[in-house]
Amino acid sequence: MMIELKDINKTYPGVVPLHVLKGINLDIERGELVSIMGASGSGKSTLLNIIGILDTYDTGSYVLDGTMIRDLSENRAAELRNRLIGFVFQSFNLINYKNALENVALPLFYQGVSRRKRNALAMEQLDRMGLADRAHHLPSEMSGGQKQRVAIARALITNPSIILADEPTGALDSQTSKEVMTVFRELNAAGMTIVIVTHDPGVGAQTNRIIRISDGVIISGGND
Amino acid sequence: MIFKIFDIENWREIGATLSRNKTRTFLTAFGIFWGTAMLAMLMGGAEGLKGMMKRNFDGFATNMGGCFTQRTTKSYKGFNKGRSWMLEVQDLEQVRRSNPYIDLSTMLCNTGGSVKYGTKSSAAQIQGVESDYFKILLPVVNEGRVLNHSDVVHMRKAAVVGKNVSDELFGSESPIGKYIEINKMYFLVVGVVSQTSEASLGGKLDNSVLIPNDIMRQAYHLGNEVGAFVYTAKPGHSPKDIEPTVRKIAYMNHPIDPTDEGALHFMDFSEVFSMVDNLFLGISLLAIFVGVGTLLAGIIGIGNIMWIIVKERTQEIGIRRAIGAKPRDIILQILSESMVLTAIAGVAGICFAAGVLELADNMTYDPSVGSAHFQLTFRAAIGIMAVFLILGTAAGIIPAVKAMRIKPIEALNDR
Repeated sequence: MMIELKDINKTYPGVVPLHVLKGINLDIERGELVSIMGASGSGKSTLLNIIGILDTYDTGSYVLDGTMIRDLSENRAAELRNRLIGFVFQSFNLINYKNALENVALPLFYQGVSRRKRNALAMEQLDRMGLADRAHHLPSEMSGGQKQRVAIARALITNPSIILADEPTGALDSQTSKEVMTVFRELNAAGMTIVIVTHDPGVGAQTNRIIRISDGVIISGGND
Repeated sequence: MIFKIFDIENWREIGATLSRNKTRTFLTAFGIFWGTAMLAMLMGGAEGLKGMMKRNFDGFATNMGGCFTQRTTKSYKGFNKGRSWMLEVQDLEQVRRSNPYIDLSTMLCNTGGSVKYGTKSSAAQIQGVESDYFKILLPVVNEGRVLNHSDVVHMRKAAVVGKNVSDELFGSESPIGKYIEINKMYFLVVGVVSQTSEASLGGKLDNSVLIPNDIMRQAYHLGNEVGAFVYTAKPGHSPKDIEPTVRKIAYMNHPIDPTDEGALHFMDFSEVFSMVDNLFLGISLLAIFVGVGTLLAGIIGIGNIMWIIVKERTQEIGIRRAIGAKPRDIILQILSESMVLTAIAGVAGICFAAGVLELADNMTYDPSVGSAHFQLTFRAAIGIMAVFLILGTAAGIIPAVKAMRIKPIEALNDR
């Protein structure tokens, strides 16, 4: 089991406390390609943030690849994010003054990998994404699809347990969306566990399981 | 992990970040550069200013006073006011006997005249002095010796000539042991002198010829009359302590109203010197005050720029945090960047200031008195660097902590 969520509750405090996740139970197996769909405000992004250890939950339990994710220090959370999770974002989130190669290599910098080795590994990943010739281009010199493939290469470089993608095609046209989804399907075919958050039914349809979430509750695609 | 600061990878990352953001790096660095340069120039400039003022008085005794006569301002014993009078040798000898506070003293007589050697002649100030003169106003002895007590009491016809006079009459030849004609009388040259200070007593030494006072009065028919009296007070006393004795004796020996302050003019150089001392103190205080201000402005500038940079880099920091940067990595990155910038820009600033000071030193260089010392000591330069490094890093701490606190989701959602 890759992801085990049991009775996860999350409330944002405030004048009117916002109960965004109401007892989420969700298991995702190793090697699955899953999409989480829901309207905006349904809690799907919060769920993704919790799965990605970017946010905490109030009650329940979450086990990621055999590691209990609960009350982690900032340092431990950063380390787990670095080793277990590869992120792909809607707006790519590349560092704009670093070229493709440096962006891809950055997670390894925080693991203390030497420059020579991380550049070699980054080149390998870029090559896998078909972007070897763009290695020394800045993000501003690349198309949306290329940028997203750089981001995917960056997500893959630490050889994570899981890829979390937040609206990965949200900023792309339909043709490049298709290309990016093809990349995800190929990665999945090679054994990678992938969770995609989307509100695009076309994207959802290309995954193996669609988890629909509405108003903080899973309404279909859960485990029961 | 604490040793990451010694990690070459970390430095490469800092170098890359700084060199890829040229405008930002330049603006920050310029602030620091200007701060250190201003502070260094201020400190060196204050030193130079002091040096320039100091060399005006080089060789002058600091507790010196003097007096000379002026026309009377009050009528007395049948004499009209406005009468001119002179101090006489007897008056001053009486003063020397009566006032215990006098340390060194000399009578001065002064006249213009022509000095001849062979076919060459030169116009010079002829000054009649006593041997203490050369202790009150320390001259630079270029050659030979100055007049001594024995020259004066034995009324030797010996002369000390100023550098310029010697050059005019003798050129590159040595004048020592030669006889020169001063106003139709022959004197043996015993020494050549010049002065370093800008201030002088009765004409610049370089353009004067100095002969024993007694000889001067006899030879040129001045009788007992003396032009001026210059003295220094003993340690712990002021030239002011000598003034009443001189007035009392002079007014007793001459028909002058005892209340006539204007008939004798006194100068107290110690006052001038204490003023100069205060001025130096003022310059130092000003330099410190403005320096601290500049320093604060520089430091606050660094803090400000770092703050803005952190704001601008919120998203970048969020990305770094999401892909595995620990809070410590972020704080180390921000602080290291500011330290590297401070170190490089600081050294550049001090080098620039050193160049400017060197230029100032060259421009104010005077071959006869030397450099005014527009200089910064190595210790001061290191001090400025250390202060900027420590305070600059401290100023970077608040923004760095802010950067550390950035939560990845907040940063990533904030676009």
